[in-house]
Amino acid sequence: MDVSQYLEIFIDESSEHLQSLSDCIMTLEKEPDNKDTINEVFRAAHSLKGMAGTMGFKRMQHLTHDMENVFQEVRSDKISVDSAMIDLLFKCLDALDQYLENVKSSSDEGTEDNEMIIKELNDFIAKANGADVSSAPVVEAPVVAAPAAKVAESTNEVKLQLSDADKDEVAAAKEEGKHVYAITVYVNQECLLKAARAFLVFRAVEGLGQIFANHPSFQDIEDEKFDLDFSFCVASNESLDAIIAAAKDVSEIDDVVGKELTEKEAEVKVETPVPVAAPVEAPAQTASAPAPAAKASTPAQAAAPAQNQKKQTPAKSATNRTIRVDIEKLDNLMNQVSELLIAKNSLVSVSSSENGIGGNQVFRENVESLERITTNLHESVMKVRMVPIESVVNKFPRMIRDLARSLNKKMELYMTGEDTELDRTVVDQIGDPLQHLLRNSADHGLESAEVRRERGKPETGTIFLNAYQEGNNVIIQVGDDGNGIDVEAVKAKAVERGVITQDQADVMTQKEAVNLLFMPSFSMAKQITDISGRGVGLDVVKSNIEALGGDVEVKTKLGEGSTFTVRLPLTLAIIQALLVKVREELYAIALGSITSIEDIPVKDIKYVEAKEVIHLRDTVIPLVRLDRVLDVEPQEEPESLTVVIVKKGDQQAGLVVDDLIGQQEIVIKSLGKYMTGNKLISGATILGDGEVALIIDANTLM
Amino acid sequence: MADVRLETDLVETKQYIVVQIGNEKYGIDINFIDNIVRMSKITRVPKVQSYFKGVMNLRGEIVPVMSIRKKMGLPDDVITDASRIIIIKLEEKGSIGIIVDEVREVITLNMAEVEKTTAKDSFINGIGKNGDELISLFEINAIVEEKEMN
Repeated sequence: MDVSQYLEIFIDESSEHLQSLSDCIMTLEKEPDNKDTINEVFRAAHSLKGMAGTMGFKRMQHLTHDMENVFQEVRSDKISVDSAMIDLLFKCLDALDQYLENVKSSSDEGTEDNEMIIKELNDFIAKANGADVSSAPVVEAPVVAAPAAKVAESTNEVKLQLSDADKDEVAAAKEEGKHVYAITVYVNQECLLKAARAFLVFRAVEGLGQIFANHPSFQDIEDEKFDLDFSFCVASNESLDAIIAAAKDVSEIDDVVGKELTEKEAEVKVETPVPVAAPVEAPAQTASAPAPAAKASTPAQAAAPAQNQKKQTPAKSATNRTIRVDIEKLDNLMNQVSELLIAKNSLVSVSSSENGIGGNQVFRENVESLERITTNLHESVMKVRMVPIESVVNKFPRMIRDLARSLNKKMELYMTGEDTELDRTVVDQIGDPLQHLLRNSADHGLESAEVRRERGKPETGTIFLNAYQEGNNVIIQVGDDGNGIDVEAVKAKAVERGVITQDQADVMTQKEAVNLLFMPSFSMAKQITDISGRGVGLDVVKSNIEALGGDVEVKTKLGEGSTFTVRLPLTLAIIQALLVKVREELYAIALGSITSIEDIPVKDIKYVEAKEVIHLRDTVIPLVRLDRVLDVEPQEEPESLTVVIVKKGDQQAGLVVDDLIGQQEIVIKSLGKYMTGNKLISGATILGDGEVALIIDANTLM
Repeated sequence: MADVRLETDLVETKQYIVVQIGNEKYGIDINFIDNIVRMSKITRVPKVQSYFKGVMNLRGEIVPVMSIRKKMGLPDDVITDASRIIIIKLEEKGSIGIIVDEVREVITLNMAEVEKTTAKDSFINGIGKNGDELISLFEINAIVEEKEMN
């Protein structure tokens, strides 16, 4: 076995621990005396250290160890949490993040020792202990003492039955002058990957001695065929405590008990194999004998992990009923469901055709039931692919905190709807745009504390991120109660840059002016800062979001703040679409963007600035001749036009088509990477009869 | 790949599919070829590079189809019963179809006897001999790249 197969578990769990550390440190910053949080932080750092150690990532282990020492001091009230310490801790987290990134990309932690950070950490501890050098060991002691104390409390015992062959091995090892210990490891009952834990324990112990006589067998352990405990013998030159400590370093291990086997025991058991339990139990207690002393000296520390464990339990059980699945497998499943859908559609088209078997009643009924099943199946698969946006947004509080410091403004981030779910692919790509918007709010949106005071606003600015589902879309609003967008300033800038003329600026609506912000290289920052203002902001946000099939809108009021509303489709792969015909070619338009379909007599077409428009229910809607846009052969103008009205936000356009085919569920397929330069066609789909229809992205026609 | 290497231990050889385009015969490295299919319905895609004929449905996948004639500056394809679409699959960019006039045969060329060409902006990287015939060997990467011969 080799440790690399546990790399993924390590990466996942480390990220979780880092996230929880980050959350806790944020809480600590606000409530420096919150004991629960301090304990939580300590626990997370400890697990992280243990895991890094087991995986052989020494630098990571070293850094977390020193971090843990600081927490230890805090826990024992030797130092109190201040902002310098919080800053330092965040630096540590960033360094750990970097290690983890390295591990992700190269399976190795890299070579950065982060000596500066470690030194700073140690300075902290040194400060806490004054110049008293002798107190240094105190830092170490409780860490070891706490688990030891637990051994004393526990009723766990060594359970190991030795076979004759095993006993021979015990004797052999003894002859070599080694100690032989019987060890029983108790795994936390919430542990999801017991086999992996067992492996990590074995790996840790193997470093110290030779393992034999597993119970249950090695194979069974690997197959997770054991309850919550497993036992083994180890022949080693090390002390029992060292081995127990090594095993306990693995996270999610509740307890490790052990005892030294004497030669006599091995022999006795040969003669009377039945009453094994008796001699085994007695030494178990002796093994824990030195513990009470430790317990007495540090009762507070011993209680802490116990309390932690209790707190952790309910939270973890929620994840108990989930499994990790490779995204590729899901994509595969999705593809097959798509194929099934296409096959179903072709059956539907046969059944609705008048000739042949289509007329058969039974056939039609069966097709209908097949339709129901495939639709349900599709929905289920889609649901499997949905993940909460939490994984993306939970990094933001920390980011806002850092921004508040570097911008020297007071601000607070309020988030709701972190549990809103989106397709995995969307979630993976939505982080950057949202981050941009938040930075924007922090940098451009919010005023400085002084200005806010003058304006009669609370000194601390509010930034919010609200996510919720609305029909087939997920809406994410990002905004602030800051200055809002100065529309006149935007116009002036646009004129200055030659983006628009003064005349255009004069007739521009507020909305149009605000939309100027989304043009490439249009940055409003008066002063270029680190955070934003390089002019690669909102246009990138917009194009990223549009690439995901969504759109973004701004509402703003000068002096009161602005809100960016991001609208994203729930799913990317399958949509409801309207099939239309332009001459002999078939095109699909997403139903979500269609508001209505109209028959417009040619004589009703009006002209505004030499462009065709129609007047429909009190709105003027520009016409888009699809045949021209799509370079189709022109034809003689009919008397009346079929117009599909599409919308994007509150913009509308009327697409002129030749014919309507009908509504259909379509599977979106990419055109691949070879064809470029086409924004109008967002993909293609395969229809029931095998024909390919191109999908028109109506957003690009506005 | 492993078994290919086995045979090539002694003399380095490569297998090529010989196709007819206009008057010339071209060889396509068999390792890049995913499939050879008959002409099927190609759906025009507006506003893309002019050498693309459109996209086709290859067993549920959308595959872009290009006219190599157009890319090489030859007269446009005349589709006959012998016309085929060679589906080339590249690790990075996926599948692409290339229309050829006819597929002739599979040949094995001894690489030592192939005359290498290093001309820039060329679609071929060598010339092989099959009997008294000359076969121009396509450089696949040049074919799928976004440049066009004027």
